Amino acid sequence: TVQSLDRDPEHAHLSEKPASELSLSSLTDMGFTATQAEQLYEAVSSIRGRAAKHALSTLTVLFVLGLNPTSMMKVLEKCPELYTIKETQLQERINNLRKLGLVEGSLHRMVAHYPQILTLPVKTIKKGVTFFREKCLFTVQQVTNILRDSPAVMMEDHDQLEYKFQYVYFRMGVKQAEMVKCKLFRFTLDEVRYRHIFLERRGLYETPDKKGQTHIINPKLENILNANQETFLTYVARATAEEYEVFKKLVARELLQQEVQPGRIVAD
Amino acid sequence: EKWAATRPKFPPTKLALQHFDATYSVQLGKLWPSVRVALLSERKYGALLNNFSHDGVLEDLQAQGCRDFISDKAEEAQPCLELSSEVESRRDCMSTNKSADNSQQLSSLQFSPNIKCLVFPRGDITRFKPAKPDTYGLLGYYLMDAASLLPCLALDVQEGHTVLDLCAAPGGKTLALHQMQIVRFLCVNDTSVSRTLRLKRVLHSYTPKELLTVEKLRITSFDGTKWGEIESNTFDRVLVDVPCTTDRHSVMEDDNNIFSKSRIGERRRLPQLQLELLLAGIEAACPGGEILYSTCTLSQSQNLAVVEQAIHLARQNHGIHLQVVGLRHLTQMFRNTFHFAPDLHLGEMVIPHLAANFGPIYMCKLKRLT
Ligand SMILES: C[S@@+](CC[C@H](N)C(=O)[O-])C[C@H]1O[C@@H](n2cnc3c(N)ncnc32)[C@H](O)[C@@H]1O
Repeated sequence: TVQSLDRDPEHAHLSEKPASELSLSSLTDMGFTATQAEQLYEAVSSIRGRAAKHALSTLTVLFVLGLNPTSMMKVLEKCPELYTIKETQLQERINNLRKLGLVEGSLHRMVAHYPQILTLPVKTIKKGVTFFREKCLFTVQQVTNILRDSPAVMMEDHDQLEYKFQYVYFRMGVKQAEMVKCKLFRFTLDEVRYRHIFLERRGLYETPDKKGQTHIINPKLENILNANQETFLTYVARATAEEYEVFKKLVARELLQQEVQPGRIVAD
Repeated sequence: EKWAATRPKFPPTKLALQHFDATYSVQLGKLWPSVRVALLSERKYGALLNNFSHDGVLEDLQAQGCRDFISDKAEEAQPCLELSSEVESRRDCMSTNKSADNSQQLSSLQFSPNIKCLVFPRGDITRFKPAKPDTYGLLGYYLMDAASLLPCLALDVQEGHTVLDLCAAPGGKTLALHQMQIVRFLCVNDTSVSRTLRLKRVLHSYTPKELLTVEKLRITSFDGTKWGEIESNTFDRVLVDVPCTTDRHSVMEDDNNIFSKSRIGERRRLPQLQLELLLAGIEAACPGGEILYSTCTLSQSQNLAVVEQAIHLARQNHGIHLQVVGLRHLTQMFRNTFHFAPDLHLGEMVIPHLAANFGPIYMCKLKRLT
């Protein structure tokens, strides 16, 4: 049963057995309903050849992590690639995430929400962490929080991440702590830029000077980003949706042209 | 190093914006942020169609989704009666003689069918391609701020009129007036010789030579403020499109910017120059003639204040009595194309808006009673 697997550290040997051992009955034994077991079985069989031979060990590891059958179904649907990862590798990746400070609850939630994180080699995550520490000067705890809140960031190109960081740091004058608090890395660069430039041109946002001073009180990054468009327009930008829709089209075109002639991207 | 500020700390565009923030936030109140973001974003153009070019340009532009905003207004225009009462109640005339001239103005406002200006619909940000020459070498259209056409329309030129365009270069409005083909004699002036040359080139790129004869057209480069001394009580219509702080240019381009430190004096003297030009235009008009004052700034001190002073000084120094002619009918007609400032007590003003990013254009019309 699930319970026994959960408590028994020795269960790992299960994974050494070939995938052929993954049967409907073994799945129902693990706690899946008959329908779930069928779905899973089909999904695994549809992955051809050797690739799926780690299915059973993957399921086991996910159980150990605390995922219940229903969330496991969702996870595997989102990311069937997990069936194909060797158990040792999977375990190594999970251990690495733990080492980075993701304690059980948050690790579980992160995998449930973004299972793709387990497809990334340990090396990639390490490079990502180093990037945030060294290029953006986030603290260890801040990096853990970034990873927890926006694991997808580990997939992103570092140059583009750096650009986003610098945009918010220099153009908007926002410090690391606040970036982490508003889960900045969940938003695309365009989402950030559109809202910021819109406010700036309306006279509602100003880049702080060297001493961090502004003539007006800037709205908090939190209120700029963590609001749906309607709330943002009503309470922060005080503008109509029509204006903002046209504005986004205009700025998208402006930014495209700046890419062609990059000399014009300058901090105001 | 990507973010290093390489520009000077206070480029003229920034000084301009600071100045506008201080003055327009008071003047326009809640509207200012919306106008500000429009000023700082890409403007819209209109394509003034060249009647003398016949290469299916109109059809082509219509196929791209443009419409002629001038003829389009017809369906939206209100019945005259209803309007005239509205105009009279809303408008307080500056002149002593508050005659019932408005209704007459309304019914007579028929635009020349020769003038067409195409614009992309509200919210559409498509750009016009540069105009191409036809088989005779004439360009198909002239790209200008569509709102710049309103002063020409408001001027209400009639068949056989003589018209003075006192500050005409680079010539967008001159071209529009010329396209109407009803002016008997068009007198075009601009103090700047080089800009006058540019204006000539514009006219030649749009007009067949035989229509640019000395009997119909005169182009000069005088100081417009002296016009009253040269040729007073002469013209049926006078367009006084004065130099101003050109707000949109001033916040967008550092080159040739009137907010640059070296031009502080020039900028301070603008209202005085504007006043002198308007007064000269008033003198140049014949009694019964009409003068249209226009700028492309939102500034009260360059708009309303100049007109108020001119009305006062014309009476005091020249014994000329003027009446303000309401333009509310015009704003009613074109309210679907432009955003107009609400509740101006003198004149009308197109204010920029992202969905209809034209203007700013201020205009005020005066009629010489004596
Ligand atoms: C706003 S621009 C006119 C734009 C023009 N009406 C058009 O539609 O293309 C103002 C013009 O006034 C001219 N100007 C400046 N001072 C002047 C003066 N004293 N007399 C006549 N023109 C003057 C400038 O050379 C400039 O071309």
